[in-house]
Amino acid sequence: MTEANDSSGSEANNNSMVRARGLKTSFGSRVIFDGLDMDIPRGKITAIMGPSGTGKTTLLKHITGQLKPDSGELLVDGKNVTQLNREGLYDLREEIGYLFQNSALLTDYDVYENVAFPLRQHTRLPEVLVRNIVLTKLQAVGLRGAAKLMPAELSGGMARRVALARAIVFDPMLILYDEPFVGLDPIALNQVLLLIRTLNQTLGITSVLVAHELAAIQQVADHVMLVANGKVVAAGDPRSIADDGSPWTRQFFGGESDGPVPFHYPAADYAAELGLGEGA
Amino acid sequence: MSETAKRRNILLDGLEQIGDAGLFLPTLIAAIPRSMRYFRETVRQLWFVGAMSLIIIMTCGLFVGMVLSLQLYHVLEIFGGTASTGTVVALAVYRELGPVITALLFAGRAGTSMTAEIGLMRATDQLSAMEMMAVDPIAFVVTPRFLAGVIAMPLLCCVFAAMAIFGGHLVGVTWLGIDNGTFWSNMTSNVDVWKDVVDGVLWKGLAFGAVVTLISVHQGYTTPPTSEGVANATTRTVVASSIAILALDFVLTAFMM
Repeated sequence: MTEANDSSGSEANNNSMVRARGLKTSFGSRVIFDGLDMDIPRGKITAIMGPSGTGKTTLLKHITGQLKPDSGELLVDGKNVTQLNREGLYDLREEIGYLFQNSALLTDYDVYENVAFPLRQHTRLPEVLVRNIVLTKLQAVGLRGAAKLMPAELSGGMARRVALARAIVFDPMLILYDEPFVGLDPIALNQVLLLIRTLNQTLGITSVLVAHELAAIQQVADHVMLVANGKVVAAGDPRSIADDGSPWTRQFFGGESDGPVPFHYPAADYAAELGLGEGA
Repeated sequence: MSETAKRRNILLDGLEQIGDAGLFLPTLIAAIPRSMRYFRETVRQLWFVGAMSLIIIMTCGLFVGMVLSLQLYHVLEIFGGTASTGTVVALAVYRELGPVITALLFAGRAGTSMTAEIGLMRATDQLSAMEMMAVDPIAFVVTPRFLAGVIAMPLLCCVFAAMAIFGGHLVGVTWLGIDNGTFWSNMTSNVDVWKDVVDGVLWKGLAFGAVVTLISVHQGYTTPPTSEGVANATTRTVVASSIAILALDFVLTAFMM
């Protein structure tokens, strides 16, 4: 390899917060990723979209090392996640915020303690400072007044905002949002969009959003990737990707049942199963 | 599936569970130094599995002692040996009934709640959230519960035995009229502190505590993240713990004889 190639490779690594090459994952006979290549640019907001069951959440789990791919290379901030040991993964995860689909708040702790949890586990900050940080994050998601509520007393949208406050409590380098807009009312949705954008602009945090709401994504994302059939089938600007003319984008953004993504789960012939027609 | 195949599957599943729990134990023990960071969590669990189990343990201990004394008095009366009622109550409670019944109650009261709690944490992604926050769920959630169970069980056995002897005294002396001095002097002269109390109550209590808590936390940690999975895991905790307690009791008794 020439020196020029070396430097361009390392520059690509530096520009990418997440870089996947030839990622392959299967659950039994079901292929999730079939040689997926992907670059998530540093300091940008990238949205990952795709039909249900295409492995978007699995991809986030690969990025955090919760789930190892069968093969392929996956670099996060230059570190190969597939080869990190437990300590290495935990060190990396301290730099990553993760918003779970179902919020995953600790049910034994109130809202305040949930947000303070990562700080208490990894720092020895004085209580005054912990309180200031927690209240700042809760204020950012509009739930400072709910600090003493227990998770069971929160609505789904509120729980999601608390989980978001917890995910950003360390001001991580990378935040992974798994379906962040589900269950939010329009006011909370706008505030969360604003918050994602503000975190990105003020702190330079790289954000990865897995979501289905194209309108919200068009407002906030810099870059969109459409994952289907085990690969990235389309990528580009969120405002123009729907018009790129490929059958994947036409079907997905047009909401059509006919196209490369089958609406029906593989099954035997319908008529035969009903006992009608030739198959009977 | 044929009946033979079903039985073979149940047997294989049982063996797999035992093997898996056996492999889980070194993971738990290896996490003990890391879990010392969360000492307050161990104390909190000790309060929950130990102190909060006191009422059921004390009540059951009292009634076991009372019924034992009542039965023994009428049997021993046939041979003119009612003066030995206290001794037999004490030996039965120290050697067998104390640790075994305490462990069975502990499995039903604390073991099931540990399984259900950890299982629900698994089902609601709380354990994954901890991993994502770089907090080891084995060290933070599982090991403190294991340590609390191992510490609490011998103490609960002592409380059970004390209450059972008190119950035996209540029925034997206060109700049936055995002489108070005879009751205590026969008991103290025939009960050996090391062989009966330490081996019976403390060692068996410790062993049962370790086994019941290991089964409980293992079932919770490995449960499928569904409501049915949590329900099945809770049932398995009671069934597996009960069998393990009785089987281990025989093995320990055989070694201690």
